[in-house]
Amino acid sequence: MSDVTPPTPHDDAYDAASISVLRGLDAVRKRPGMYIGDTDDGSGLHHMGFEIIDNAVDEAQAGFADRVEAVLNGDGSMTIRDNGRGIPTDIHPEEGISAAEVVLTKLHAGGKFNQNSYKVSGGLHGVGAAVVNALSEWMEVRIWRNGQEHFIRFEHGDTVQPLMVVGASDRPTGTEVTFKPSAATFTHTEFDYAVFERRLRELAFLNSGLAIQLSDERHEPAQRAEFHYDGGIAEFCKWLDRAKTSLIPVPITAASEVKESGIKVEFACSWNDSYHETMLCFTNNIPQRDGGTHLAGFRGALTRVLGNYAKSMGKKDGTEISGEDMREGLTAVLSVKVPDPKFSSQTKDKLISSEVQPVVQAAVADALGHWFETHPKEAKLIVQKVIDAAAAREAARKARELTRRKGVLDISSLPGKLADCQERDPAKSELFLVEGDSAGGSAKQGRDRKFQAILPLKGKILNVERARFDKMLASAEIGTLITALGAGIGRAEPEQGGFDEGKLRYHRIVIMTDADVDGSHIRTLLLTFFYRQMPALIEKGYLYIAQPPLYRAKRGNDQRYLKDDDALEAFLLERAMGEAALVSGALTLAGDELRAETGWIGQVVHRLKALSSLLPLNYLEQIAIAGLFAPAALGDASKDAALVARLNALSHPTERGWVVTSDATGVTLGRTVRGVAERYHLDAAALRTAEARYLAERAPRLAELFGGGATLAIDGPAKPVHGPAAMWEALLAYGRKGLTISRFKGLGEMNPEELWATTLDPSARRLLQVKISDAEDTDQIFATLMGDIVEPRREFIVSNALKVANLDA
Amino acid sequence: MKCPICGKPAAPGHKPFCSKRCADIDLGRWLTDSYKIPQQVDEDDEEERAPEPPPR
Repeated sequence: MSDVTPPTPHDDAYDAASISVLRGLDAVRKRPGMYIGDTDDGSGLHHMGFEIIDNAVDEAQAGFADRVEAVLNGDGSMTIRDNGRGIPTDIHPEEGISAAEVVLTKLHAGGKFNQNSYKVSGGLHGVGAAVVNALSEWMEVRIWRNGQEHFIRFEHGDTVQPLMVVGASDRPTGTEVTFKPSAATFTHTEFDYAVFERRLRELAFLNSGLAIQLSDERHEPAQRAEFHYDGGIAEFCKWLDRAKTSLIPVPITAASEVKESGIKVEFACSWNDSYHETMLCFTNNIPQRDGGTHLAGFRGALTRVLGNYAKSMGKKDGTEISGEDMREGLTAVLSVKVPDPKFSSQTKDKLISSEVQPVVQAAVADALGHWFETHPKEAKLIVQKVIDAAAAREAARKARELTRRKGVLDISSLPGKLADCQERDPAKSELFLVEGDSAGGSAKQGRDRKFQAILPLKGKILNVERARFDKMLASAEIGTLITALGAGIGRAEPEQGGFDEGKLRYHRIVIMTDADVDGSHIRTLLLTFFYRQMPALIEKGYLYIAQPPLYRAKRGNDQRYLKDDDALEAFLLERAMGEAALVSGALTLAGDELRAETGWIGQVVHRLKALSSLLPLNYLEQIAIAGLFAPAALGDASKDAALVARLNALSHPTERGWVVTSDATGVTLGRTVRGVAERYHLDAAALRTAEARYLAERAPRLAELFGGGATLAIDGPAKPVHGPAAMWEALLAYGRKGLTISRFKGLGEMNPEELWATTLDPSARRLLQVKISDAEDTDQIFATLMGDIVEPRREFIVSNALKVANLDA
Repeated sequence: MKCPICGKPAAPGHKPFCSKRCADIDLGRWLTDSYKIPQQVDEDDEEERAPEPPPR
């Protein structure tokens, strides 16, 4: 990528002969807007300054000046000074007056028709200076040239002091123009510093190496700024992105020139993490607000190169990538130099020179293509951003489409799967999102149709590989859900179909899923969807989770529904408790006394069970009673002996002979039965677990209750119980007596009456209200479960797949 | 609260996302069947569809 070769001063004479005359100035005063822009809103006023500044910059572009100064004077006038060659001062051969006067009084006069004087120029066609003069109360010009200082003065464009030599001067050559905009033309004549600041900075970027000074002498102290950049438009691009995070460290830049046409193209572009496009186009340093052929060329190239690259990356998810997507977060500066540019208007807002487009397109495509090939890592980042942009645009479109199909509030457009309720007041209406068609069918029959609506939803299962299934909520299901809720979707304005919580058709939305892995996945998906796309619904407290029972315990015509394992256990225990008595030595526990102990005994049993993969439960409980779960007790021979005695006591007389050793490595139990050695070892690591700590804490009470040979009587003769686990089992076994206990594998196994009685009936059911914090947790789980976003963390999936159950706790 | 799409902090008007753009991307994924929860299946016990231990 070569830099633009700096303009070299050429030898062609710049004198009166190179100035040609086309027309007079009267039209300008009559219709200033046509020449200078709007005279009311300030744009025309500032254009006055720009025109003169552009002329000075033209001198710099031609290689004759490297410094431009602009001063906003205290009297409301403006001075622009350059160190160029100075406007020609000799007498114009055709007009008979000084060339300077011709340039400043004759429309379409100037050095810029003659391409030898200026190859390219911004202040076009010489209209600038003469127009500015015509619209100024007065204008004074000083020219330093040929060792002399010259002076000329105009009022309203009329020469009041023809060009005169003030005297000899040893100052370097240059031109100084001072003008005061006419109050007769402009509604406001006060210059805005910020407008010049922006334009002069732009010019300094576009003309690498040129120093531009701006001072505002209207205030005390004067405000000053100096713009001088050597980095060109690449630096411009970086400056535009100064407050954003760029995707690539260095802007993509290129410059090229076509010799035959003299068109020069220079561009710099970069992508940042915002969603806005910043595109600046310049022709001969003049900005084109409305783009034009150069912009079209740039965009054409961008679309082609990025499109090809995205294709080569194998992105083919169906979403058409548009040029708009490619320009999201794009910051670009495009600067062309064209010898004889054509614009759609005098204000040069749009370039219409058709020969520019192919030149720009070829240059940009060339440079971009090369860059993408040589920067694969950054290219991927950019393409990913483009693809995301396309997806976002497509989603917004789909959402609009979804909600635009007839009015979503129109009852006739409600999805066929929805069994709606009769109630029309959302505050009194409930919607149950029921997993599966069969459960949905039961729910439809079992509900109170006055105020309860049922929408069956199915999770879709995809067989991805032999041993892998992916679970999802199909987009059709999501669409049905959105339509049933009637409140639109997405972040657009409600009039555009965006989500509007005020239009919700139900203020109670109840998620009802099976208590299995599938159910938990569907619930996770639904919660995540609501949390992300309808958070207001959760904030308002409209979202609930149903609590269908997992068990039914039946005795004759009597039946109880039990939510989960804990509820079942508590129910069974309670049945036994009334009849049970635990006797240990002098201690007898029954009724409320026994009930009071069951809480912690249950905890002990659960912890013993947690460790039962290491050692049989009946040995574990003896270790617990002996107090050997406490690391401090290891090596205590009396405790070892006590454990031996207990183990022997509960073994058959021919199978005794237990040996126990405890030391820093843990606890070892062993015996030999009919020549076969049996050995169990509880290692030190197991003794450091939270379970072991709890068991160690409870050892004294356990020893008290079970250490001396306890018996348990439940509605009958007392039988020995060797420990807490054994007692627990005995109680549960009694509790189960006479009951038929069935476990619902899914909601579908409940008949409509059961579903009503347990889950739908407001007077009997329990609903869990979903809080934002719950939903946030779910979103975390979801994000981790998502295999295709992050590399799947299967370990997490296995250990947490059912953790959503925490929501029920 | 972090934007579920890009991880930037959530913006008040677009919670839990950082911007309309990320919210749109998310919505797009819901509407194009892009969100899937992968699940390992024990081949001997397909009916139960119990998760199997992760391959190490």
